[in-house]
Amino acid sequence: MNEINFNISPLLTFFLNEGVPFETIKLILMLPIIATLIAFLRQVVGIKAFGIYTPLLVTFAFLATNGLRYGIAIFITIILIGMLTRVALKSFRLLYLPRVAIMLTIVALSILIMLVIGGSLKRTGLASVSIFPILIMITLVEKFIAVQIEKGDRAAILLAAETLIISILGFYIASWETLVHFIAFYPWIILLTIPLNIILGKWTGLRLSEYFRFGEIIKRK
Amino acid sequence: MFDFLKKFSIYLNARRDILGMNARNLKYIRPYNRTNAKRIADDKLLSKRILKKNGIAVPKLIGKIISQENLDNFNWQTLPDSFVLKPNKGFGGEGIIVVYGRKKNSMDTWIKADGSLITIEDLKNHARNIIDGSYSLSGVPDIAFFEERLKLLKLFKPYAFKGIPDIRIIVFNKMPVMAMLRLPTKESHGKANLTQGAIGVGIDLASGITTTAVMGKQKIIEYLPGTKLLLSGIKIPYWTDILTLAVRSQEISGLGFLGADIAIDKELGPVILELNARPGLAIQIANLDGLKWRLKKAAGIKIKTVKKGIRVGMDLFGGEIEEELEEISGKKVIGTVEKVKLIGKDGKEIEVEAKIDTGAHSTSIDTEIAKELGFAGVIEFFNSLELPKNFKREDIKQIEEHLRKKYIHQHPDLADISAIYSSHGVSIRPKIILKLILNNIELVTQVNVTERKELAKEIIVGRKNLNKFLIDVSK
Repeated sequence: MNEINFNISPLLTFFLNEGVPFETIKLILMLPIIATLIAFLRQVVGIKAFGIYTPLLVTFAFLATNGLRYGIAIFITIILIGMLTRVALKSFRLLYLPRVAIMLTIVALSILIMLVIGGSLKRTGLASVSIFPILIMITLVEKFIAVQIEKGDRAAILLAAETLIISILGFYIASWETLVHFIAFYPWIILLTIPLNIILGKWTGLRLSEYFRFGEIIKRK
Repeated sequence: MFDFLKKFSIYLNARRDILGMNARNLKYIRPYNRTNAKRIADDKLLSKRILKKNGIAVPKLIGKIISQENLDNFNWQTLPDSFVLKPNKGFGGEGIIVVYGRKKNSMDTWIKADGSLITIEDLKNHARNIIDGSYSLSGVPDIAFFEERLKLLKLFKPYAFKGIPDIRIIVFNKMPVMAMLRLPTKESHGKANLTQGAIGVGIDLASGITTTAVMGKQKIIEYLPGTKLLLSGIKIPYWTDILTLAVRSQEISGLGFLGADIAIDKELGPVILELNARPGLAIQIANLDGLKWRLKKAAGIKIKTVKKGIRVGMDLFGGEIEEELEEISGKKVIGTVEKVKLIGKDGKEIEVEAKIDTGAHSTSIDTEIAKELGFAGVIEFFNSLELPKNFKREDIKQIEEHLRKKYIHQHPDLADISAIYSSHGVSIRPKIILKLILNNIELVTQVNVTERKELAKEIIVGRKNLNKFLIDVSK
């Protein structure tokens, strides 16, 4: 067992002894917490992002890259290149899937170039980012395009920004040591997210963002 | 502290009155819009068919393309001169092509809304994209269909930018609950979608007259941007027919919480464009009022017939238009005939019915009334003047100027002499200064005096004196 110098629950000790790595257990236990956070931000605060799945995945991609800034850099590159390619491909009038395939190709190549540049600048952290978080983030492109078609450029950029903010927030929560230690000691605490989500699922109040959206009505009452 | 409490109570009230996303989904869409009904709303062709079967007016279907095979065999040249190509499961007005006419001497080229040309090849490509699912939710394969193009009502011409305004009506429990007129703008690229920058104008349910307006997401506006056209006070024609269509389509579709989109065609009158199972919330901003309290109020009432539903909806949620309009615009609403009090020399008062006539520039009164008001002297003086009779139209300005210089100082009551154009031609009339009281507003103005005995009203009030009023022709 490598460098676990805090108290953990007997259940976790059992898992570790069976050979499940602590990092894996930690991420799995964090998943419901991050998911609940995203649900809370949507229902009560009104931050939309690209659904629940994308910000969750991006959070974990951030956790798996070597440091947040590389994650953010990759995220922004993907969105920017995705946007530019869409504009460039517009006049070709291609069908949806082939179009997305081309965009994925260009985004993937751009990331490769970025890694090479990172390596040549001696930013070895960037070059050695593992492939899975990168792949996860590349799938963002399709999400982004779908929203762009459905709701326009501005909405897509806004949602991408919201996704980024939620993921950064999720990153800090998941790497918050006090919380990690707490959950390692009381892992059953994550079951509390279920009643919490039942409450969120029945919540019919105005979202925080809606007080702003309907500000003109409130002002004139 | 007190201030804080006040603010807090305002926010509590907002919670009670305004419908948010959470409450819309959980309290209205989920329980009132069943899967089956939603299926009708999400499938434009299906809802068109069902509505039509039940005698509801819808834009006529010209043809549809279901598969690649259909696409290859479609006889493009049989398409009419003007039509609309739409994706069956499209949303937000995406993927719609509006064709205005055929290019001269050409069977296979048409002209689009923005004046650009579109060929059969382009149409084919677009239809292929549609059936491939480029414009449907989550990219599922779709159907492309052609329907007749609706023609813009003259009334809406100055307000709509390329495209047809439509009227969104929220129907709940067989009652119209809230309504808005959506105007396509340049920013929205001719689409009537508020999130894309279209204008939403609230409508008073009782009268069908527009009230307040929002552009895009939350910018409150009074005038159509770039113009002096007031967005409030537009009277929507066929108002009860429109409400009837909306409530009837709720009955037919089974959507308990329905957003019905209705357009008015120049020839067909109101038609249902589409049904919406998840109506947006922006309608509240356009009306500057919340939906939640209205829905709560509507829920408790037993409604048996469409007629009753409309009447109750109108009574409960409309009717305050005049006070509201007056508050917002600072203008009083008056009809085309109004009582007006005239105050002449030495405080002499006469009350008569006046014709409110925006076709006339200035106000004019009958000679006899002018005499009664103490202006007999000036009329006698004016009649004694030698006025030119057979003048040419182009000389009129000069003559007017000449007479003005010559006589205006010769009688104290003569305020001006001016040439008035009317349906009978041009006549030269004296002007006097008079005080009018119209709808409690006092106006001191020059009015011209003429023989109006044989006309229906002894006084007409013209545009010049009407800038403090809005005129409701139905009043």
